[in-house]
Amino acid sequence: MFLAVFSPEGNDEVSPDATLMQQLLRRDVSAFEELYERHSRIVYSLVLRILRQGSTAEEVVQDVFLQLWRNSARYDVSRPFVPWLLTLARNRALDHLRLKSERQRRREEQTEEFPQIASAAPEYEKALDEGRRAERVRALIGTLPSAQKKAIELAYFEGLSHSEIAASLNEPLGTVKSWIRNGLMRLKEGLQATS
Amino acid sequence: MSTHDQFRELIEAYALGSLDSADRAVIEAHLASGCAECAKALEEARWIVSQLAHLAPAAEPSDMLKGRLLQTVRAEAAGGPGRQEAVRGAAVPWWLWAGVAALLLFSAYSTWNERHLRDAVANLQRQAEAQRAERQKLEQQLRAAKIQAHEAMIWSDPKSVKIKMPPKDPNMPQLEAMWHPEMGLVVRGWKVPSPGEKRVLQLWLIPKTGGKPMPSVTFWPDADGTFTAMVENPPDALSDTQALAITEEPMGGSPQPTSAPMWVGGVS
Repeated sequence: MFLAVFSPEGNDEVSPDATLMQQLLRRDVSAFEELYERHSRIVYSLVLRILRQGSTAEEVVQDVFLQLWRNSARYDVSRPFVPWLLTLARNRALDHLRLKSERQRRREEQTEEFPQIASAAPEYEKALDEGRRAERVRALIGTLPSAQKKAIELAYFEGLSHSEIAASLNEPLGTVKSWIRNGLMRLKEGLQATS
Repeated sequence: MSTHDQFRELIEAYALGSLDSADRAVIEAHLASGCAECAKALEEARWIVSQLAHLAPAAEPSDMLKGRLLQTVRAEAAGGPGRQEAVRGAAVPWWLWAGVAALLLFSAYSTWNERHLRDAVANLQRQAEAQRAERQKLEQQLRAAKIQAHEAMIWSDPKSVKIKMPPKDPNMPQLEAMWHPEMGLVVRGWKVPSPGEKRVLQLWLIPKTGGKPMPSVTFWPDADGTFTAMVENPPDALSDTQALAITEEPMGGSPQPTSAPMWVGGVS
């Protein structure tokens, strides 16, 4: 529903989001407001899913958007914007979660303020607009057995490692590794199939 | 299976951040060796992983968040152009900039020095960026610590009123709340099952006057069933509240309860 505001992003043309990010370099408040209108819902949904408390989630979303405003020069317009923004938001939310629970940080982006996302979007990203791709992602993950889906959600939304997921689900470590890899491969193949 | 295939099997989980330390060290060493095929696969895997955000239930941030953000952004925009550069400049010690100036003078005399100047400037930028990242991290830690300290103060202050919240279902755990007349309200639970798909738990304040329940925060337990919900400014006063209740509600919460209370605790 709210994802319908997204538009496709490709390699060979500057996306509306990239244009807005360039306008932020000129301290254009209206460009910032438009970026917020376009993406605050999906960013807030993701952060809320990770942190589970509205007030804390809003703090993190505020941090993410202020980071866009203050460090817009560091965004590479050739990169797909939405995955970059979502990765930034996820990193921030998981950092917050880990600060609270004092878990050790495990992610590769541990010391990265800005995430590394593909310098060019995969070809099949162009095949679907963001809204339809969101539906496709939900449908593809929805076809997985519930335990496999749970393993992927624990990794993505809770930031758990393979070992922690195996302990949480009381499943062998090898099984959890296979579930996560196969689940992501199925997602990739499902998105490729639409291109 | 070749050694290379073994590395490829780790790429997706590495992009997801779920590898344990031993596997992570293996793939990082391989990527550091310059394997172009794995580097490309990693870029694609990161894109795939970012798509998992679409699994999050749809939710709307409050209008207040947008208002706060725009207020900050407008104030910074009105502060004159180049605030970003000003922030960066402020983060770099003066003696580093003095070092740059010295290098600039020297570099005028030889191309060799030019090359060294570029290196020095890049190093300064890296240091400035590291300082800014560290400052943001410290601010985040400070916020988290403040919240935790606030919760701890409410929990330990003798003026706080302890509220036991027994479950309606005997198979569910009992919850506990602490309400301080000035500092706010904290509710904690352990081994609490997750609410259903696209559902949240919501706290309610039942007024002594017999009026409608006052809606408060929504929250979920984590994977272990643990949660802490803090309300700094409850919608009603302790002295005016008869009981606390928790119901399961649709994502985003409800203005009035749509299901029977799962936990209720009388405020004495």
